Amino acid sequence: MLLELSEIFKWVTTGGNRTYLLKGINIEVQEGEFISLMGPSGSGKSTLLNVIGMLDHFDEGVYHFLDEPVQNLKEKHRIELYKKYIGFVFQSYHLMDDLTVYENIEMPLLYQKYSSSERKALVADMLDRFNIVGKKNLFPTQLSGGQQQLVGIARALISKPKLILADEPTGNLNSKQSEEIMQLFKKLNEEDGVTIIQATHSEANASYGSRTIHLLDGRMVKG
Amino acid sequence: MLRHTFLLFFRNIKKHTYSFLINIIGLSAALTCVILISLWIKDEIHIDTFHKNEASIYHLLERSQRPSGINIGHTNSGHIGELLKEHMPEIEESVEVLKYPNDATLSVDDLIVKADGYYVSKEYFNVFSFPLLHGTTNTLWENTKSIVISESLAQKIFGTSNNVIGKSIEYQNKETYTVSGVFKDTPMQSSQQFDFVFSFEEEQAKHTYLRDWGSQSTHIFFKMKPNTDINAFNTKIENFIAVQTDNQRTNRKLFLAKHSEEYLYGNYENGVQTGGRITYVRLFGIIAIFILTIACINFMNLSTARASRRFKEIGIKKTAGASRKYLILQHLGESIATSSFAMCIAIIVTLLILPQFNSIIEKELILQFNGMQLTAIIGIALFTGLLAGSYPALYLSGFNPTEILKGRLPSLGNETQIRRGLIIVQYSISIILIVSVLVIYKQIEFIQTQNLGYSKDHIIHFDREGKTMDDKAIEAFLSELKDIPGVIDASSTRNKMVGQPWGVGGVQWSGMEPKDYAISFQNMIAYYGAIEMMDIELIAGRPFSKEFTQEHTKVLFNEAAIATMNLEDPVGKIVNFRGMDREIIGVVKDFHFDSFHESISPMIINMWPERLTKILVKLASGQEEETLSRISSFYSGYNPGFPFNYTFLDENYQQLYQAEKRVATLSQYFAGLAIIISCLGLFGLAAFTAERRKKEIGIRKTLGQSKTRIMVLLSSEFAKLVGISIIIGLPIAFLLSRNWLSGFAYKIELQLWYFLAAGVTALIVAMATVSTQAIRAANKNPIEALREE
Repeated sequence: MLLELSEIFKWVTTGGNRTYLLKGINIEVQEGEFISLMGPSGSGKSTLLNVIGMLDHFDEGVYHFLDEPVQNLKEKHRIELYKKYIGFVFQSYHLMDDLTVYENIEMPLLYQKYSSSERKALVADMLDRFNIVGKKNLFPTQLSGGQQQLVGIARALISKPKLILADEPTGNLNSKQSEEIMQLFKKLNEEDGVTIIQATHSEANASYGSRTIHLLDGRMVKG
Repeated sequence: MLRHTFLLFFRNIKKHTYSFLINIIGLSAALTCVILISLWIKDEIHIDTFHKNEASIYHLLERSQRPSGINIGHTNSGHIGELLKEHMPEIEESVEVLKYPNDATLSVDDLIVKADGYYVSKEYFNVFSFPLLHGTTNTLWENTKSIVISESLAQKIFGTSNNVIGKSIEYQNKETYTVSGVFKDTPMQSSQQFDFVFSFEEEQAKHTYLRDWGSQSTHIFFKMKPNTDINAFNTKIENFIAVQTDNQRTNRKLFLAKHSEEYLYGNYENGVQTGGRITYVRLFGIIAIFILTIACINFMNLSTARASRRFKEIGIKKTAGASRKYLILQHLGESIATSSFAMCIAIIVTLLILPQFNSIIEKELILQFNGMQLTAIIGIALFTGLLAGSYPALYLSGFNPTEILKGRLPSLGNETQIRRGLIIVQYSISIILIVSVLVIYKQIEFIQTQNLGYSKDHIIHFDREGKTMDDKAIEAFLSELKDIPGVIDASSTRNKMVGQPWGVGGVQWSGMEPKDYAISFQNMIAYYGAIEMMDIELIAGRPFSKEFTQEHTKVLFNEAAIATMNLEDPVGKIVNFRGMDREIIGVVKDFHFDSFHESISPMIINMWPERLTKILVKLASGQEEETLSRISSFYSGYNPGFPFNYTFLDENYQQLYQAEKRVATLSQYFAGLAIIISCLGLFGLAAFTAERRKKEIGIRKTLGQSKTRIMVLLSSEFAKLVGISIIIGLPIAFLLSRNWLSGFAYKIELQLWYFLAAGVTALIVAMATVSTQAIRAANKNPIEALREE
């Protein structure tokens, strides 16, 4: 099993009132799954992804990632864990404007122990695989949205993660670009065995997944 | 990883060039100040410390009671050194130094030079470290009529400093001396500056009065034995003179001051050590720290203000697995890179302006890249980088990445407070500097426009030497001078009015009380016409006049003296001075014959033609140059072999306040700089605020708010901060300037408008800076701002 969430609660307190962002989430994810999180705005999809990605804390519950109890880990350990196993893909790509395509993709490797020649090989490989070798010296603003997201995914994959967390990865893209990106996810999932959890509004995108989890007001509901 | 950091750093610079420029300009200007001030301070604190025996060389000083308070004498009777050495085993060596009052005329064949000399006793070159290039300390004084000259004087006279021993030099075209040694030129860092020395022992044998208790002209230095407790020793010698003179001279109390500390700790107030140039050393040290702080604050403020632009970078890096430690190091690295870059610029600027700086401070500072200075430079760059970068680094690295990436700006309450606080600190410092500069400037101006009680303008003086030393011929000489067109008047005095010790002496008068014996009177020796020429005002009686006889038996006093002696109707009364009864013929109004640091002491004026050493000439204004060249050609015919070297009285006077004037000039530059750097920071912040409030301004404008209202809205935030700075800065400025002024006996009153002016200046400059940005923001088309969102 890749990860297991049981009875996860997360809340914020404003003026003495607790507002629940996540309420009793129970999810088991096996390696190689492709899960879609669906729900209206504010239903907790992004929060859940952030909790799974260890970028955000939760207030109650137990979270095991590869049998490690995440809630008991020190910050340093958590960073170690997620930088090794998790890659993030964002709706607005979040590429560094001041770095080229090549440098953006290379970035996560800088925080792990890779020699410079290893890094070169890995990035070259990735550029080749995504057919963007010709664009490696361009800056993000010189690319179309679809191309930017491609770079975003390439960056997420560079450190060979087991899990890709994608927060509405096609939210800013037109339908043709969307389809290409979803095809890419599907291929990654089927051919490389990468586990994918995506948050999406679109039924069409959700249908690429092997399983859909519906959220409403921080709760899991039956689709 | 490092490559990435650098890439990001450089691309950031490219993108945000102007805030980078503000940082670099501010930091490099501040660092230039720090380098210059450090060089100056280093030089100041090393004055007179180069002597090998520095730790054990002491100067014999003397406290004596005067009506205006306790006076400190730096010179003493010529024999007291040897006498003390006989009685006190703690003294290893005694050295006498007598400074020749006038520049000497030295000549070899047709070559004539003016040079400054000392009479020094035998052990001088053993105790003080003025290395001999030729000759040995043991053989310098083997023969009488020996002269030891400096390397550059040897160059000037003989064209070389080699093989000059044994050569002859004419002194005052009268006596011949033989060179017995050549010493290396006295370094800039020496308070003793001289071109040649004669033997003190010979001079003393010739003028035995130097050994009298009444004579106080000789500097006495001691080399003390190691481990001497100077405090205990001072107690031991305090009443030495009283004991030696059978309680005749009880008011003269001796003590030692360390020679190497005299330069920095030279001020005494009523006999108590009260600092000296060390005050200025500290002042500039503080200014350097102030300016560096201001520049660092700019750096911090701009970095944290710019943070929003870098939130995304930090968020992405964090999700990509960068630890906080890494981010802190990255930002510190960036700020150290910035400060190092600024340091490089500062070094270049320093090298460029050092000659200019040197001419202001009259030093010869050089920027060297040897071990010490290099370490200091690298140290300052690192320190500045850390100081400026620490807060932004901690601040920026602390954000939660999910918040940032969701587009939510982290809470800003605290940060804004800190930024405001820093601006207040900055502006308070600027305001303190503005007030200080104003006060220093006003005080200097006050001194220079103050009525001295005598007129010093258009009066030159030169030394009596050669033929003019002939007392019988002086009258003829003066009248020939007066015949030169452009010369208004000519006379003679012993003294050049300021910057030279007056003789002192005791006066006895009827009704004198025992305690009055301790009062010493400054002794001015004046020839006929001198008092009138300098417009010294008479309040009773008459000046010296050729219409009367026996004028050398008559005296004048100043008001202070009359008040001290408590004489009524003094004119016509008889006093005893130097063992001779003298009639008081007049009283002059008090005039300032000393620096404004001192109050006016009692003075006796007498006529003693043999002791006159200066010729004074008053020139008609507007044609000084022609008149001077006429005097010069007349003089070379009258007194062949002696060059005509003159000084304006006014120059002597200006020299009294050199330290203050330098401080004034420098502090003007530094205060200006501090204000410019502060404004740079404010400019950057105003731009940033306008940027951050772009959307708000857009909405306000679409809702119909006027441009003026928007400008007020943007500017008022900064106006408030400057207002608070004024409230904080002005009282501090008041205390500091009052403290500085307390060192002057005659000083300006602090005026309210100094403070108002400083406050208003700071406010206007700040508002002018901010409003440029506010106008730009207010004039923007709101649609643009809103579309971007």
